[in-house]
Amino acid sequence: MSLKDLVTPFSVWKRALEKPYTNRKPLDSRPGADRYRGFHINDVDKCIGCGTCESICQNEAIDLVPVEGRKTKHGDSGLRPKVDYGRCCWCALCVDICPTGSLGMSNEYVWVDSDPEVFRYVPGHDEKPWNACEKGYRRAEGYDLLEPKRVEMPMLDFSESQKSFVEMVQGYSKEQAMEEADRCIECGICIATCPAHMDVPAYIDAIRRDDLADGLRTVYEANPLPASCGRVCSHACEHVCAMKHKGEAISIRWLKRYIVDQIYANDYQQFLDAAAPENGRSVAIVGSGPGGLAAAYYLRLIGYAVTVYDANEAAGGMLRYGIPEYRLPYDQVDKDIEYIRSLGVTINQNVRIGADVSFQEIYDGNDAVFFSTGLSDPYALEIPGEDLRGVIPGLTILDEVTKGQKPDIGDSVVVVGGGNVAMDAARTSRRYGAEVTILYRRREVDMPADEEEIHESQGEGVTLITQAIPIRIEKGETRRLKLIWGKAEMVPDDRGGRPRPRLIEGSEEVIECDTIVPAIGQQADYKFLPEEIAGRLEFAKGMVTVNEFKQTGDTKIFAGGDIANRKRDAISAIANGHSAAKGIDIYLTNFAAGGRA
Amino acid sequence: MSDQHTQTQISSAEVHEVFADLHTRYGVRGLEEKRADQAFVRTDRDEAVAVLTHLRDRHGYTHLAFLTAVDQIEEGRFELLYMLHNYELRHDLGVIVEIPREGDGCSMDTIHRMWPAAATYQRELREMFGIDFPGSPRLHEDFALEGWHDLPPMRKEFDTREYSERTYYARPGRTKTDTRQHMKDTIYPSEAETW
Repeated sequence: MSLKDLVTPFSVWKRALEKPYTNRKPLDSRPGADRYRGFHINDVDKCIGCGTCESICQNEAIDLVPVEGRKTKHGDSGLRPKVDYGRCCWCALCVDICPTGSLGMSNEYVWVDSDPEVFRYVPGHDEKPWNACEKGYRRAEGYDLLEPKRVEMPMLDFSESQKSFVEMVQGYSKEQAMEEADRCIECGICIATCPAHMDVPAYIDAIRRDDLADGLRTVYEANPLPASCGRVCSHACEHVCAMKHKGEAISIRWLKRYIVDQIYANDYQQFLDAAAPENGRSVAIVGSGPGGLAAAYYLRLIGYAVTVYDANEAAGGMLRYGIPEYRLPYDQVDKDIEYIRSLGVTINQNVRIGADVSFQEIYDGNDAVFFSTGLSDPYALEIPGEDLRGVIPGLTILDEVTKGQKPDIGDSVVVVGGGNVAMDAARTSRRYGAEVTILYRRREVDMPADEEEIHESQGEGVTLITQAIPIRIEKGETRRLKLIWGKAEMVPDDRGGRPRPRLIEGSEEVIECDTIVPAIGQQADYKFLPEEIAGRLEFAKGMVTVNEFKQTGDTKIFAGGDIANRKRDAISAIANGHSAAKGIDIYLTNFAAGGRA
Repeated sequence: MSDQHTQTQISSAEVHEVFADLHTRYGVRGLEEKRADQAFVRTDRDEAVAVLTHLRDRHGYTHLAFLTAVDQIEEGRFELLYMLHNYELRHDLGVIVEIPREGDGCSMDTIHRMWPAAATYQRELREMFGIDFPGSPRLHEDFALEGWHDLPPMRKEFDTREYSERTYYARPGRTKTDTRQHMKDTIYPSEAETW
């Protein structure tokens, strides 16, 4: 032992009178680190109650619960996560996965109470001292458990697509579909918004499991026209997709198409439920559009003899005659229809009810009638010169093309309108080599057409002029026609609706063109209904009034599709057809017992 | 941290020289220079101890910063990562060794004679991943998980959620609400829309 070792202990005495280097007790505070994982915080207005935090929690510490004052709406379940701190292990997986980024953690960790029941609360909703805490854990930038970008869909490029009617969207490969399916978090928020309430997460899961037969079964539970819907559905589901908060929505529509595309029509019957034997009752259906076909499918499935009457040469309604082939090829419409026909549904083509066969006759000859006749009468522009040669409604052009006729449009076309029919007419005209301009009364953001339709029209070289109001049509000088139009300014709507276009007095522009295509909407034609029956039905603003089961004022008559709902798309018509099939079954089983056998 | 990066005393060319030496002697491959002061190489299980020894004694990587494992369940193997540090050069070199994750093969030579502290890492890896290190001191004593009789919990087939459901009771009074059912009940309750 050295001298140093003996002396050193005494040297500490020189600090004896200095201020100690320790913390004073009681401690005032001992804050967590800036990124400490303390009690949860949640921006409850940003949160959509998707339940992903609940699903990922490995300790089952999170329950989604209804909270006071928060309503369930499209895209928001109205539920909010409640955390049980008896189980939470502070791993922050819930924060890392949250698609909206609403969930975080404060750096508060001190909470003392003698009642164990209090350590459960709804972050952000229940008042807590750390609700406004800026510090604490948040998902780190660039660290993502979810893939924000969708798998890109192979498409024909615009220079190619505008030359022919070849389908533009080429469909996912197996690898692409599985990768895209992998992005789905299975929250099921989309189900409420789909008019047909398809079980989207279930069929996406089937893709992940590569069990496409199961996927097809799920799809057919709510939609018997999936080859068509997988292409042209208005996909309201994708607008509420939880992943949209993170980046791009799941390609729900195209994943549905993937399932259907992989299975041959002839194999359907192996995977899908067979139709029940006929139960002795019959239902007549007027119109073979999506509404009529859906009703036919579900009625035939439960044993009704179903006869569909359709005025056209081929079935499908607007799917075939209103949507161009480059969006929905006819063989895909056929795939859907032929399966329905194979179940024993009779489809009588070229029969116009009210002309070839009277409505009364099918009314008397069947236990129930469903009509889904659609909107066939184009609205007129109601401007002078509309009767001149060269003014051709959009639907007429689409109809002619489907029938294999070359529409007489010349080299330059002006389409008036901003809906999907306008886009379809414009892009069809483009494919016949015409220069195409679209005139629309309001702003681009107001256009009712699908976003991608607007984008693709412009990509294919269609010129879009917005806030343009047609004034009159005259005979042209260099071309067949001359359209005089004026500029519009947007003025607020007194009734609280979207801003309305108002013609700026004195503004006048002229376009010369060969063809003017009004495509500003269409209305129903109910002339086929006999007066006596029409008298029993109720109509409001051109639509048939129906109850939830799509039953009209005449208990034996049901109606659906564009004539009975405001959404006016294929999937709503399909949902209507399904509801009507249920309604007809309930009506015939319970209220018309012993009826016609 | 960034200051530390810039202070590294080794150039990329010199890192490549070390790598070339290891490659010639032991067939070391897969050099990845992640940062100026950090690189990774891969070696076979049988060469690993020799590589580590050579790095310690000939190249100045005298400090074992840590030893850990990554479960590459899809490939059926574990990746052991030996992170070495050279104080003089201020450089980290990670040596990655692949071993099978199943059966007798799920085992590795111990390095506690080179770095006594390695015994602790090896105990942890045995407990968390089930990797055997024959001869490593106190290997089979409990480390962090006292009284653990289940599958080693860091193996990816360990189902944490199932374990917590089985092990911990749910607190009474908790209620769950199914998102889909709740949305149906509030947005479209009608039987007409129930398939």
